[in-house]
Amino acid sequence: MPVWLNNLLLLAGCGVLVALVRGFLFTERSHRALNRLRRDRVGLLCAAMVVLFLLAGLADCVLVNPRQSVLDYAFRNVPREEGYSAPLARTTYSERGAKPLRGWHLMGTDLLGKDVLLQTLKGCRTALIIGGLTSAIYLPLGTLLGILGGYFRGWVDDAVQYLFSTMASIPGILLLVAVMMTLGKGLDRMAIALSLTAWIGLCRLVRGETFRQAAKPYVDAARALGQSQSKIILRHILPNVMHLVIINAILGFSGLVLTETILSYLGVGAPVGTASWGTMIDTARMELSREPAVWWPLASASITLFMLVLSLNLLGDSLRRAFDPKAA
Amino acid sequence: MAAGLAGCDNNPHPRPLHQKRADGQPWVVGYRAIGEDPRSLDPQFSYDTLGNAIIGQLYESLLQYSPFKTNPYELEPCLADGMPRRIENADGSVDYEIRIKKGIYFHNDPCFPGGKGRELKSSDFVYTFQRIADPAVECPVLSTLQEFIRGLGEAYQEARKAGAFDYSKPTGALTVEDDYSFRLHLLKPYPQIQFWLAMAFTTPVPREAVEFYNGKNGREQFKFHPVGTGPYRLDEWARGRLIRLARHERYSATRFPEGGWPETVAATCQPLAGAALPLVDEVQFQVIREAIPAWLLFRQGYLDRSGVGKDVFNSVITAGQTLSEAFKKRGVQLFKDVGPGTFYSQLNMDDPLLGQNQKLRQALSTVYNQTKANEVFGNGIDIKAEQLLPPGVVGFEPDFKNPFRTENVEQARKLIAEAGYPDGINPQTGKPLEITLDVVAGNAESRQRAEFDQMQYEQLGVRIKINENTWSRFQETQLRGLFQMNSGSGWNADYPDPENFFFLFYSKNVPPQGSNYTRFHNEEFDQLFERMATLDNGPERLSVIQRMNAILVEQCPVILTFYPVSFTLSQPWAPRITDNAMLVTGKYTVIYPELREHKIREWNRTPLWPIALLVVGGVAVAVYAVRRARRSIL
Repeated sequence: MPVWLNNLLLLAGCGVLVALVRGFLFTERSHRALNRLRRDRVGLLCAAMVVLFLLAGLADCVLVNPRQSVLDYAFRNVPREEGYSAPLARTTYSERGAKPLRGWHLMGTDLLGKDVLLQTLKGCRTALIIGGLTSAIYLPLGTLLGILGGYFRGWVDDAVQYLFSTMASIPGILLLVAVMMTLGKGLDRMAIALSLTAWIGLCRLVRGETFRQAAKPYVDAARALGQSQSKIILRHILPNVMHLVIINAILGFSGLVLTETILSYLGVGAPVGTASWGTMIDTARMELSREPAVWWPLASASITLFMLVLSLNLLGDSLRRAFDPKAA
Repeated sequence: MAAGLAGCDNNPHPRPLHQKRADGQPWVVGYRAIGEDPRSLDPQFSYDTLGNAIIGQLYESLLQYSPFKTNPYELEPCLADGMPRRIENADGSVDYEIRIKKGIYFHNDPCFPGGKGRELKSSDFVYTFQRIADPAVECPVLSTLQEFIRGLGEAYQEARKAGAFDYSKPTGALTVEDDYSFRLHLLKPYPQIQFWLAMAFTTPVPREAVEFYNGKNGREQFKFHPVGTGPYRLDEWARGRLIRLARHERYSATRFPEGGWPETVAATCQPLAGAALPLVDEVQFQVIREAIPAWLLFRQGYLDRSGVGKDVFNSVITAGQTLSEAFKKRGVQLFKDVGPGTFYSQLNMDDPLLGQNQKLRQALSTVYNQTKANEVFGNGIDIKAEQLLPPGVVGFEPDFKNPFRTENVEQARKLIAEAGYPDGINPQTGKPLEITLDVVAGNAESRQRAEFDQMQYEQLGVRIKINENTWSRFQETQLRGLFQMNSGSGWNADYPDPENFFFLFYSKNVPPQGSNYTRFHNEEFDQLFERMATLDNGPERLSVIQRMNAILVEQCPVILTFYPVSFTLSQPWAPRITDNAMLVTGKYTVIYPELREHKIREWNRTPLWPIALLVVGGVAVAVYAVRRARRSIL
């Protein structure tokens, strides 16, 4: 894909996302929730952390030329070394003939001499793509099926229930590994595989909430006014279940990043050459048993993963509290 | 709990079958580790290193490699009573007259009347060669053997047509002269046949066992229940856990050599001269999938041998590639072996891009930095390969320098420009040339290797797309030619002759007929190969070999990478007496059990301080509890 097309598509994607979020924020309920969120310091701090991770991920998605992203360009003066080097070391990490390093590496270098900090930051892109692409597939799917089941009930609900009960009865990781083995490696394929199981929880939540909303007088009023069912769903039900979708998306994002890490650890995740925290942790299995041990790639990947997942979970909790009508 | 704890110890092995031999001597057990279960123990089918390592203990061939002769390798009789006698016929065909030793017995097994193994006869070899031609057995070397052995190809085709092999009909490959002698008929001269007579494929199997162990009526399949004439019989195979071999009570085919051993092992060998084999009574192969647990067991003394893994390399081997002081103090011995094998990356000659562009292949070969790969992945021990034939094989030239393995990036860039892709850019599209590299990416290290390969080739400006495969998928891509370029392939010699390497590039061996996975086709090479196969070693054969090597260097169907070098550690109680890589039998293995027992005790002393700490802590808690209880009563 040409550089300009890649960047244009990325820009368009960000634009759509911003428009969606803005559209959602203009509802009264969201406005109230945001006001509450502004008073939640932990929530704000976590939001800032998440934004930082997103920016790092985006920096590796935007290309400056066919072979370099913005992140690569920013690290262009950080040279590749001959092999392992410890954080801030001046020589390579070898008992047999250590060689002087060409550059300075805050988090050291890996077996192939690549800067660990850069690899860790590049892991944000993998997390962003997996989280973003999977969410783009499973959120509409889970929401749509949940609303359809909850609103129409009867055989539609039976069909939706049958579908998610069947899917939920298959062990998640095994299903993911099987799908990945069938589809082959690639971030897009991993997103499809993850979407297959990720929609179930959201669908259940939305279905339950739709049951509740559909029994309320404002829906009866809309029916009495002769509004079509599609209008009732899109104008009345959907905005009232969106808070669940947002919270689920935030919490689900961290789950997806963790699952990607697990799949990469199992060797069926990110393809060769794609920086991923899971791959770094998998590699560390060997590195820790080396003598002397190489700990910094594991430390770097684990700490970053921990911080992102913790931030997302705390932000999800803050959002849940902010949207909770009882907290008002 | 105390009783339970008292029953615990570190020893991971099951109890040996016996404590003492019939003559009162201690029952000697060898402990080895294998990474997984072998797929099959059928000698006419199995063609992998692991299977061969076990089969080599259970079955024996007419000939075997002399344990102490490795430069060059030399064959000696095993089941055969003397070396085969070559008879040249007037029509250009060749016969080998072979006599077998009397008093060789198969293992005792329920497949024989009364459970007693019967004596080996000439007819068993007739049956074995029939099995080689039986399509149901799927013998992987039939395509090679049928070119030279009379009747095998025809028997195979007939069986395919009929749907079953007719074992009552002779193949014509062998003629029985009496119970202990037979003739092997070759269509044309083929001196390498002697090497085949030392391989597992031609080891005799009893018809009774193959027919009895047919997988029906609760009986196992023959491939899981081997019955041979080897020094060991299979006693137990607990899948995923243990393979236990016990000595063949009536083994008599060979004895420990009376002399000819190198000086370095003379002290060990001298007292064993002429001794009955095997020297060890029982061998336990523990299935240990991960490298680290196996290494820890070796360190504790529960395994007799170990390789030196990449991760522990620095703690075991010094910069001068000698054993570290800590291991020297333990009495551990280090052996460095260059295996008779060559590793390479394959280029598909049927590919419209790589197959048609010799300069492009040469550029890819020139740019790949194996010296660095050895440093990064092999601790710098593997030897960079400059020619297909590895050290120890006739035709290997120690001073040969391959002009397309210089690792010179500038030279490689010139070559790719001459190939029509300056700076790796395809002039038709204006984009970097894209080449797909198939790899086996089963673990973190293999993925790192793939990334390393990608970096190497991309120095030319081309774009390397990595295609990750499972091992079976990788093999399928090779068989069906569904790859452009792949890495991590190699060939370990079945026998130390150039024919066993050059056949990988003989055009009649393109899959499914053989293992010419690169689909290399060169008329001159084919003619030379056919000529070389029929020549005895000598100056004429050597010049043919040199020309064939030159063709491969020029044509670059493979990017030669390295000759594998391995370090092996031996415990002080298991001195290694032979470094013959072609010899897979363990019948010459020596083990001193008393020394092992002593060393294991020394290395695994239970520290007493945690127990003392527990006792003191327990007493303190008890005293406190009693005092508190008294106070509360008062």
